[in-house]
Amino acid sequence: MKTLIKFVHAPIAPPPAELPNFETGARLEFLGIVRALEAGRAIPGLFYEAHEPMAQRQLERIFQELTARNPCSEILFIHRLDFVPVGEASLFIRVSSSHRRSALLVMDELINRLKADVPVWKRASGS
Amino acid sequence: MGAPPEMKITLLTFAQTRTQLGFAEKTVECQPQETPREILRRIAPQFDPGKSVRIAVDQEYADWDRPIGQATELALIPPVSGG
Repeated sequence: MKTLIKFVHAPIAPPPAELPNFETGARLEFLGIVRALEAGRAIPGLFYEAHEPMAQRQLERIFQELTARNPCSEILFIHRLDFVPVGEASLFIRVSSSHRRSALLVMDELINRLKADVPVWKRASGS
Repeated sequence: MGAPPEMKITLLTFAQTRTQLGFAEKTVECQPQETPREILRRIAPQFDPGKSVRIAVDQEYADWDRPIGQATELALIPPVSGG
């Protein structure tokens, strides 16, 4: 399986969409985008921080656990850190698999696990 | 048989725990039989991790009450909010 885990400090540039292999029949891309309202209050953006080496380890383990049940040919994960303005992506995930079900399940569960266990934090900027 | 040798561990804080403790990183003298809870109580008696702050030992989630052994890093992990 082709994997990538990256934390960046500038706008996310999605990697070229090369097929990992010709058995790939489904490809999903997810962008998490910063919204203008946080708890009903207008904000200019969000500020993200991470424990990067630990986040990398946790994500590697989560990829393995999820794809043991639902094989995938590719998981690319890019999280932007520091200030992310409203309207720009803080998160990019690409999941590819032979059939759509694996990619859909892995994408959904990966985002759930990110929000539960991966040491990344956001706060409304300036607060 | 003397006192067990002192070792050093790096304590990292993030998000609200950084604000609460007032530092991002600190080198702390400790002993292998000490637990994360004991170390925190010693260096920051005012800090209460409560039920929501987890502890990571060498970048793995761990038990607040299990001795640190030969670990080299402790990290306070308040509730995460990536994405």
